[in-house]
Amino acid sequence: MEKPLPVLLDGDPGHDDAIAWMLAKASPLLDIRAVTSVCGNQTIEKTTYNAQRVCALLGIDAPVAMGKPAPLLAEPMNAPSVHGQSGLDGPVLPEPNAPLSSLRSVELMAKVLQESETPVALVPTGPLTNIAALLLAHPELKEKIKVISLMGGGITHGNWTPAAEFNILVDPEAAKIVFESGVPIVMSGLDVTERALIFPKDFERIRKVGNPVARVVADWLEFFYGFHREIGYTGAPLHDPVAVVSLIRPDLLTSKRLCVEIETQGEYCRGATIGHDRKPANALVNFDIDRDGFADLLVEAVSTYGEG
Amino acid sequence: MAKLPIWIDCDPGVDDAAALLLAHWQEETEIVGISTVSGNAYVDQTTENALKLCDLMGASYPVYRGAEKPLFREYHDGAEFHGKNGFGGAELPEPSRAAERLPAWDGLYEAAKRYEGSLELVTLGPLTNIAIALGKHPDLKEKLHRIVMMGGSATRGNRTPSAEYNIYADPEAAQAVFRSGIQIVMCGLEVTEQAQLTPEEIDAVGEKDTPVTRFFHTAVQDILKKDMERGRVGWCVHDACPIAYLAHPELFSAKEAGVFVETQAELTLGKTVTDLYSDKKFGIKNALVVLEVNRPAFAQLLTTAVTHI
Repeated sequence: MEKPLPVLLDGDPGHDDAIAWMLAKASPLLDIRAVTSVCGNQTIEKTTYNAQRVCALLGIDAPVAMGKPAPLLAEPMNAPSVHGQSGLDGPVLPEPNAPLSSLRSVELMAKVLQESETPVALVPTGPLTNIAALLLAHPELKEKIKVISLMGGGITHGNWTPAAEFNILVDPEAAKIVFESGVPIVMSGLDVTERALIFPKDFERIRKVGNPVARVVADWLEFFYGFHREIGYTGAPLHDPVAVVSLIRPDLLTSKRLCVEIETQGEYCRGATIGHDRKPANALVNFDIDRDGFADLLVEAVSTYGEG
Repeated sequence: MAKLPIWIDCDPGVDDAAALLLAHWQEETEIVGISTVSGNAYVDQTTENALKLCDLMGASYPVYRGAEKPLFREYHDGAEFHGKNGFGGAELPEPSRAAERLPAWDGLYEAAKRYEGSLELVTLGPLTNIAIALGKHPDLKEKLHRIVMMGGSATRGNRTPSAEYNIYADPEAAQAVFRSGIQIVMCGLEVTEQAQLTPEEIDAVGEKDTPVTRFFHTAVQDILKKDMERGRVGWCVHDACPIAYLAHPELFSAKEAGVFVETQAELTLGKTVTDLYSDKKFGIKNALVVLEVNRPAFAQLLTTAVTHI
């Protein structure tokens, strides 16, 4: 078997970030080298604490560093309606079992990239603040980045505003820097992630696996579904895990190469991701997912955390 | 059944011509007036074209000349798609009469008053005239039944990746219309790019030899070629959609949405931002967004009209 792909997880957990990290940790194809937090779903203090707790639950022993406390230029914006006051409401989680890294997120990411023998995949599942800061501060490390597989945006529509998806809306300037960086990008936006629906019947399959991680994931799904059920969804759209699926099971996804540009201005469109083919492509954009295959993948992943 | 009184604001334009032919032919609608605007061609040309089309159809609908340029922005023509004369090079005899003396915005207002709230306003070009009319006559909005528009899109653009041509051409005017409180039926690119005539259907029209079919068959050739180069199976008759919708709404499917126009951005300038697919809604449903059409039935309507005038 090939050596696993080194990855950096950068997110704002967040129920779907946490489930994305569960998938990443479960996969023998990936080797998690560091975890960094970003402010998005909740404040940087809360997402950092949540990142540590998720790592404790999943047994991720890579260093965890705190990300930037605010977007590059914009004011911070959070999503308590989706993820609760803690940013990860629902089941009780273990307390952090290791101190935070003494490095800040950009330094930790740079260190991992410098020390890695092979190119590293970045998996941002929150606003792109840390990634943009890394690319600005360390342009020489771009060649050490194999791919940025991100959850963000939406070619045809938004969610937090009619035109913009939350992660991009929070820090459009950072997104612009990332999409214009020249680094290979795989974009999993609302086009695909709203099709990555996990239904209540799937929650039960996961819960039945019976180990502590399975029980927590099932509870997370139920909490996360609560918000979405209110606004008419028939399942929980698992946005962030699709960014990990892109690395470990691209066969489940349908995608298209496009030029993706970021709107940073506008009365209605700030944070919109515009996809088109009138300029050279800069991203592989996912548009569809084999939903049943995705649900099976989640059950398999949860099963790797032990017997019931 | 009483005919629907319709006012057509347009910029002929090859597909505007198809729309006028259909509106003239179909028995469900009655054209009350035509106004012209700079769009596919400059307003002098679109006015002349509207008058020539009336002559071609043997009709005497009053034609009112409208705005020369967008409210705030520079004017750019659509000669790339509609040719220099707006008709893809097809020639028609000089018009037998001149345009009315009233400008478009006053002609529309007088007609709206006359029809006491039942007038259907069809817009096929940039919305400059309508914005001027709404600004000059604040009570116009209560005197129209609704606006049935070709313009915008819920998901994409054609003039730019984000914006459709008519809205991009005068985004501020479009925003004034969407904010007016008038109910809008928006026939955007989702439906108008389905509303195609295939080369076979166009050739079948050409087999009948009348002044109208000769004009039609010649006018559409360039734009048909351009549409097919872009991967379509035929020519997208964008502007005929609102006209067909008025007579045959059962051939279309549509959804209510909030729609506003981006005027403050660069990349997304002129985007019709809709809340059809987003979690967050605008909190107001000012538009019925038309999304699908029964293409064969639409093609049948249009080709029947063109071959029977």
